[in-house]
Amino acid sequence: MDWTTILRFVRGPFFKVALLVFIGGMMYRLIRVLLLGWSRDRVPSRGSKAGGVVKTYVKGLLVLPFIPWVKRTFTPNALTYIAGGLFHLSLFAVVIFGTPHMLVWKSLLGFGWPTLPFPLTDGLAAVGIIALIVLMINRLTHPVLRLLTKGPLWLNWAFTFLPFVTGYMMTNHLVFRYEVIYSLHMITVNVLLIWIPFSRISHFLFYFFSRTFHGAQAGKRAVNP
Amino acid sequence: MNAQSAIDTYVKEIGGWVASQLEACTRCGLCADACHFYQVTGNPEYAPVWKVELLRKAYQQRFTPAGRLKAAVGLDKPITDEALRKWSTIVYEACTLCNKCALVCPMGIQLGPLIHDVRAGMAAAGVVPADLAAAAAKQKDIGSPLGVTDKAWAERIEWIGDEWEVKVPVDLTGADTLVVFSSIETMKFPDNIAAVAKIMDKAGEKWTVSSAGREVVNFGFFEGDEALTKLFLARVFDAAKALGVKRIMISECGHAYDAFRWTAANIMDVPRGVEVTHIIRMMYDFWKAGRIRLKKGAYDDVPITFHDSCKIQRRGGHIKEPRALLEWLAPKAFKEMSPNKEQALCCGGGGGVISIREADGLRFAAFGQKVDQMKAIGAEAVTMVCSNCRLQFVEGVAHFNFGVKVRGLTEMVAGALE
Repeated sequence: MDWTTILRFVRGPFFKVALLVFIGGMMYRLIRVLLLGWSRDRVPSRGSKAGGVVKTYVKGLLVLPFIPWVKRTFTPNALTYIAGGLFHLSLFAVVIFGTPHMLVWKSLLGFGWPTLPFPLTDGLAAVGIIALIVLMINRLTHPVLRLLTKGPLWLNWAFTFLPFVTGYMMTNHLVFRYEVIYSLHMITVNVLLIWIPFSRISHFLFYFFSRTFHGAQAGKRAVNP
Repeated sequence: MNAQSAIDTYVKEIGGWVASQLEACTRCGLCADACHFYQVTGNPEYAPVWKVELLRKAYQQRFTPAGRLKAAVGLDKPITDEALRKWSTIVYEACTLCNKCALVCPMGIQLGPLIHDVRAGMAAAGVVPADLAAAAAKQKDIGSPLGVTDKAWAERIEWIGDEWEVKVPVDLTGADTLVVFSSIETMKFPDNIAAVAKIMDKAGEKWTVSSAGREVVNFGFFEGDEALTKLFLARVFDAAKALGVKRIMISECGHAYDAFRWTAANIMDVPRGVEVTHIIRMMYDFWKAGRIRLKKGAYDDVPITFHDSCKIQRRGGHIKEPRALLEWLAPKAFKEMSPNKEQALCCGGGGGVISIREADGLRFAAFGQKVDQMKAIGAEAVTMVCSNCRLQFVEGVAHFNFGVKVRGLTEMVAGALE
């Protein structure tokens, strides 16, 4: 089998299956949690729950290291904050505003949007790769993270790292022939998509639950979230 | 001990709320540095996320397909008696349920309430520190965790009335406000009860204490034992109903305020139309409404700071009231510690920790950070609205031989009445 055939398979049927597993798996995760039952909060509020929710989302996006209370946790965890923040920035910029990725979205959704120039997304991708390496070293050395990190968390790391590296190598024409590295990129992306519903990478969905609760709880008590 | 009853409790507690919080965790470990016990020891097992490990385990093994599979093939061991014993020391001795970690968590996970749920499993399995269990038993049988009997309590209240020449109405039907004190106040800070009596009298408030609902502290809530929590809450709620009061005023006790104000309505039937409020709010309202007048600058003599109690400020929301009062009572001398308000550092004695002898070393170590905070601003006095914090401060400054005066804000307000 030649690489062109492999490429056709991995970006065609395999990608579709991976996408379906991802969507189906996440739906299952979501529904399972929703069906576990929710009790109504009968406690009278002192403040506005909705106000607290709005505040917590705004605040969650603007983590400013010079605020003294953030500094207290920021200073001993600068790597987690900076590398973690840069990784997420890189991820969103590349996956949403990288031209090739936008075209994939367009083929799926039927509409597209303006993208960032290649040198910028390329640079951000490199930042993402470096951030992931820094985060891995941090996880290997920080005593708390060592206690918390078990096998599957390393798979999360590996399955996230590989699409970044293969994508970077593809767009910069490094080492492999185009069809080869494109195939490898698609394989790693598909593996990641299939893996997400089984892993903690799914936090992007449950983030909205925990943040909303956090804001509502603070708003109810009339304190800053 | 019975690990199965802990597991059953966890399974019962896990609804969408708990599950979505557990699912959101990315194991980033940032919560560790929010915890005063981790800050002073560097022990990774004190990371708040590690404290909820057993609840997470129970959730995965029971509710997630991957967890069930792993448990079935023996990759993941069930919760053992040994694990319960180990985590019991972590969640009772090294956690004050201050919930600062929730503010640091990038996902906003409510770690405090989750750790409370972990404690509930411990309570069901009977793995509660002996001192805490003994206090809860005393509260159940005698009516007070310090073992103050009905007779001793009545005598004490009478003595306070005589000693400070104040009226403390007992079981007065038709009163508007039922004031519930803690045994710490009755036995260790009687000046606080006298202060409340003076303020109530001056404001012309129709108030009473109740001999049936005389204890505000809830050791069931500390333990995480829901049945006991409800029993102790019901004693006060029943008294409120019998006396026909309009509101229950929680005196200087943080955990009790959490139990009455934010928890009771979600776990039991609470009397309709009876408001639950805190002494700091009532004093503030009296003052704002002109029902009491306070001498401006009455405490401007030495630099004074305010300690935010986790359950009254961060988790209770009464942040502006003490500050407004202090800016009036000590406009020049009042200084803020850093961090403060919602982000304040816990005193290290809350959540029942102060009553567990084995935790003494830890709670004093945590208090060391409060000493540093006070030193940094040159405070010579500190005030607060929680008698549990106050006890921790009194013992803490003695432990560190640090010459700062510890005062209750209520007692200060009473002293400044005009």
